[in-house]
Amino acid sequence: MFIDFFFKLREVSIPVNPTSFLTLQKAINSGLVGSLDDFYIVARTVLVKSEKYFDLYDQVFAHVFQGTALPETDDPAFDFLADTLLQEWLQDPKSIADGFGVDEEKLRAMSSEELIDYFKERLKEQQGRHDGGSKWIGTGGTSPVGHSGFHPGGMRVGGQSGNKSAVQVAAERRYRDYSTEGPLTQNSIGEALKRLRNLVPRGAKDQINIDASIYQTMKNGGEIELVFDRGIVDRLKIILAIDNGGWSMEPYVHIVQTLFTYAKSQFKDLKTYFFHNTIYDYLWEDPGRYSSPVKIDEFSRLDPDTRLIIVGDASMAPYELMAADGSIYAMERSGKPSIESLRFLSETFDHSIWLNPTPRRNWGYTRTISVIENIFPMFELSLDGLENGVSRLMS
Amino acid sequence: MELNQFSGAVKYVLDQELAKIVNISMALEMPLLLKGEPGTGKTMLAHAIAETLRMPLIVLNVKSSMKLVEALYQYDTLTRLNDSRFGDSDRDVSDINAYLRMGKIGQAFVSDSRAVLLIDEIDKAESDFQDDMLDVLDQMQFDIVETDEVVKAKQRPVFIITSNAKKDLSDPFLGRCNFHHIAFPDPKMMRNIISAHFPELNRSLAENAVKAFYELRRIEGIEKKPATRELINWIRALLADPDFRHGDKLQKEIPYLGVLFKKSGDYQRAASISLKKRFF
Repeated sequence: MFIDFFFKLREVSIPVNPTSFLTLQKAINSGLVGSLDDFYIVARTVLVKSEKYFDLYDQVFAHVFQGTALPETDDPAFDFLADTLLQEWLQDPKSIADGFGVDEEKLRAMSSEELIDYFKERLKEQQGRHDGGSKWIGTGGTSPVGHSGFHPGGMRVGGQSGNKSAVQVAAERRYRDYSTEGPLTQNSIGEALKRLRNLVPRGAKDQINIDASIYQTMKNGGEIELVFDRGIVDRLKIILAIDNGGWSMEPYVHIVQTLFTYAKSQFKDLKTYFFHNTIYDYLWEDPGRYSSPVKIDEFSRLDPDTRLIIVGDASMAPYELMAADGSIYAMERSGKPSIESLRFLSETFDHSIWLNPTPRRNWGYTRTISVIENIFPMFELSLDGLENGVSRLMS
Repeated sequence: MELNQFSGAVKYVLDQELAKIVNISMALEMPLLLKGEPGTGKTMLAHAIAETLRMPLIVLNVKSSMKLVEALYQYDTLTRLNDSRFGDSDRDVSDINAYLRMGKIGQAFVSDSRAVLLIDEIDKAESDFQDDMLDVLDQMQFDIVETDEVVKAKQRPVFIITSNAKKDLSDPFLGRCNFHHIAFPDPKMMRNIISAHFPELNRSLAENAVKAFYELRRIEGIEKKPATRELINWIRALLADPDFRHGDKLQKEIPYLGVLFKKSGDYQRAASISLKKRFF
């Protein structure tokens, strides 16, 4: 039963390692676990190492020991999609109601939570049949909902992305918060990043240099002379800009997550921003690219020694990069082509690199990659590439 | 099995769950890693354990630039240099051991009775600090490089490690710890905490203060929510004020917001909301 419990925990992707399971056995043998309640507490404290998983743990525990149904692990895509539908419903109730083939009034009667649930329900029925055809949700079909080319609020969601065309736009996970998930899997990335350090002496001379003191003392024939140094601190500032938009980055989520998690624990002064495909006038502080935009002009006020790392596949339709109003988002009308913004950034920060998760051998096939390569030194987001990139940043 | 059981201290209100966790960690001889909002009593727990079980408490306050070796031992080169020059101390200059001093972890290791070792806010230090500590935790011993001696823990100390989770701790480190996240106490728990601190407090003041406190915590957009420490100080302030000593007036007006809110933005927000409350 315990073994079963252990595997159930792993199944719902709580990172439990076998060693801690052995520790749990030891705890049970210690005689301190007298009841199921005790076991619940002890097992949690030994097995689960982050409060993020407490809720999930509770559910699994209830399932294994009391036979309650295991919650369906909700696909975040559904949540997002249902949310999008809700937004769309607020904009244009009629087309949604028609799309579902139900009476508009019936939907109107529901609260927003009920609506979300209803949408999810309907979405699940549709699972696996997203594309084409005249199903009510899908892409490029006759469907009123889904990829009709417009985002709620009149923004364009679709668009070409290099070699991959936009399929399943509606069912798309438009963004992921890279920070919330992603166990530290590739220690090697941490190793590569460790070299990103800029240790400089700073502050008051308050640290005794023992070797130099002894040396001076000996030179003085035993008369003590103390030599003081400034303390050494890491003053490196880093800006990490991540492309977290859309489908073309999706295959690389894992690797970017790893990079991000390491960067977050490694650097004291790290600012993270998000963008989609390329940078126009703004970068966003929130992964949703919605609530806190930061004007890139502001960056000119930052320390020019700041290291700028941009992570993205640099693959998009050429007009997104070159045209004055190239952004696929209607709200983002800067009147300046993105390529200018990129040049501005690379001129502002002497040390900047672009990390590209797509394999180098494919770079030649995408026009925009070679254009961006001319602006930023571009490296493959692999261990080797990262190492080269880091040494470029530190040169 | 004979085991000193921990069940709470005079000024520390302990829930059953946490007591269990402390006891099991002691039985397993594993470090206990505590996370949680500031003001949930992470640090106080170590004090309470030491007090109840009559164990010496050794506190290691982690600083951002700290290296692990500082926490283990220090070799006082300068005193030795000084002694060798002037020779007026009773220390033997040729004996290197006279110049070695134990750091906090070292003290806990050589302590004759089992000690509680609180490693406070470990997340402040560089990640190297945790990495280096893995070995010490595993072996319960460390080397003194200068003398090539090994310091072994006489008795395994009770490790309590707190983290404010500014940075993630590394997986191998987490693997060696037991983990608990202390949630912010609910109002009922909070009343217990209050009565542990103010046994004489009249009921109406306690009720109203706790109620007002949780309402204030619910204000949206507060950057630093007031915690237990603020509430206790606030009650102290209320007690000093004859107008509010009885607590009834709190329903109308909330004084001394500055005790609860330490950021000017938060203060203004809270003030404007409690002002509204006064009129409506």
